[in-house]
Amino acid sequence: MAKVAKKGHEGMVENGSIGGQTANVVLGLLLALVAFCSLVPMWHVLMSSLSNGRALFASEGLVLFPKGGFNLEGYKLVLKDAGILLSYGVTVFYVAGTAGLGLVLNVTGGYVLSQSSKLKPLFLGILIFATMFNGGLIPTYMVIRSLGMVGTPWAVIIPGCTNAIYVIMMMNAFLQVPQATVEAARIDGAGHISLMFRVMLPQARGFAMVTMINTALAAWNAWFEASIYVPRNKEWWPLQLYIRDLTSRNQDFLNYANPDYNRYLIQFAVIVVATLPVIVLLPFFIRKLEENMVVGAVKG
Amino acid sequence: MAKSMKRKKNLPAGKKVTWKEDFRKNGVLYLLFLPVLLWELLFHYLPLPGILMAFQDYSVNKGLFGSKWVGLGNFVDLFTGTGFPLAFRNTLAMALLSLTFGFFAPILFALVLTTYPHKKSRRGFQLASYMPNFVSAVVMCALATEFLSEKGAVTQLLSLLGAEKQNWLANPNIPVFWIIYTMIGIWQGIGWGSIIYVASISNISGELHEAAAIDGANRFRRVWHITIPGILPLVIMMWTMHIGMVFKMVGTNVLLLYMPQTYDVADVLSTYTYRMSFGGSNNYGLSTASGLFQSVMGLILLLTSNRLNKKATNYSLF
Repeated sequence: MAKVAKKGHEGMVENGSIGGQTANVVLGLLLALVAFCSLVPMWHVLMSSLSNGRALFASEGLVLFPKGGFNLEGYKLVLKDAGILLSYGVTVFYVAGTAGLGLVLNVTGGYVLSQSSKLKPLFLGILIFATMFNGGLIPTYMVIRSLGMVGTPWAVIIPGCTNAIYVIMMMNAFLQVPQATVEAARIDGAGHISLMFRVMLPQARGFAMVTMINTALAAWNAWFEASIYVPRNKEWWPLQLYIRDLTSRNQDFLNYANPDYNRYLIQFAVIVVATLPVIVLLPFFIRKLEENMVVGAVKG
Repeated sequence: MAKSMKRKKNLPAGKKVTWKEDFRKNGVLYLLFLPVLLWELLFHYLPLPGILMAFQDYSVNKGLFGSKWVGLGNFVDLFTGTGFPLAFRNTLAMALLSLTFGFFAPILFALVLTTYPHKKSRRGFQLASYMPNFVSAVVMCALATEFLSEKGAVTQLLSLLGAEKQNWLANPNIPVFWIIYTMIGIWQGIGWGSIIYVASISNISGELHEAAAIDGANRFRRVWHITIPGILPLVIMMWTMHIGMVFKMVGTNVLLLYMPQTYDVADVLSTYTYRMSFGGSNNYGLSTASGLFQSVMGLILLLTSNRLNKKATNYSLF
């Protein structure tokens, strides 16, 4: 991206002139406004989580600094809450399960579709139809229930681990590997398995990574699937579903005779704890995802 | 291996390869595809017969084969009832807002960003704008609930502009929820959605801009006469693709934002379907009919958008 940007049209003549300067200030302010709006909600949550519970509960509007003094009670309550810790572990399990299983399916499926065979058009047709039409919520639920998966973590992991678009994307990635390399390996006696993993996958690694990152992100953020497939099995609730439950009853603590206002902080602390890993890991894969946005749109 | 390749060369169309030969050569491939095939069949194709529930007075005890057939009865119920027409109207309204304001916000952002000359801070602004895209739906909706509540920051800001202090998400008046929903969409997508436009703008030849600058065109005239025409084909392509997806996308977050007092303005087809089946009423026939209507509308829009795309840009997905 940065490389392409260099070709752009910066450093133009009129930047030094008065009109250009005013325009720059206006543009800068607009951009700053967008950046502010993008960052401030999470900052508000972070600062709220570090506030004094009673002061925060009484406060109004934006919290830019901890209200009523710096306070870590919210995080202490989160660490004491076995339910939150368990759901954190469940989410990690779901992320690892969907991303791992999805990677295997995407790579094998994409590889098979990149090879010519008699059944390939049929396979591809099956996938393309699946991208256009599906049975809908209830029929899918009925199938998953009759498979005996409702109430088990598999109902969250297996149906969500891949989709037709990712398999087709991997097919395109494999098709881009130079044929000469593939032929050379084939003449050397490479079978399908070693051709796929040793020769082609290293060259299509970028796309495999992107499908895996997207699957993992989706699994980290998912709540709906768990809410219909494991609604009564709290031990299999992912973090996001737990947060939804927490924020919807964030004032329940007031019902106690001697309310502990720090309990009001839990919802903020848990949002920070749930969002932090993604934000921390983001710099490592942001460029890959950016590139994929551009390439993906060009190729459809 | 080499032998079979040679044979393929002799048979030009490859049609005459018998199934037996094909299986001998590609059997391993078919075995490798089995997991993906199984996954597709189980989770995409096995549910398809379930669509028949839309034409039944479905009862869980009697199953798909024992339940009473009611023809189009469920659809008649849907369209003559109160909830479904409202959900349809709301879906259309929110889809329309997403196709206009929601769609053009990232383009506008990309234009402003690329016109801004300081490259380093430009990248900073861009990275900051990505942030909302990586916040989960649950957290995003919790933030919206917090900021729009009676004591929230947005409510405070609006009260400075003269609006009454209130919980905005509970406001059942007509455009309120639709505007909130659209604004949340813009907040989440403005940075991430602009990536492709920024890349496209950066690919416009710098020489064009230089020539225009020498001719005395200022920055804004150049944006108007060079940048916008330059990205127009991409914009048209993206817009038609957006039409195809809009029915699927609308409503993903409504479930987390609406409440009984705003059902009339916030309900969309997907949430209606959900409530009819999981929300206590358990009317599977009705909700499958509603889901089928949604799928068919989505498919029609997808095919229409693909057609439009083909006409506009000679580019097609299928």
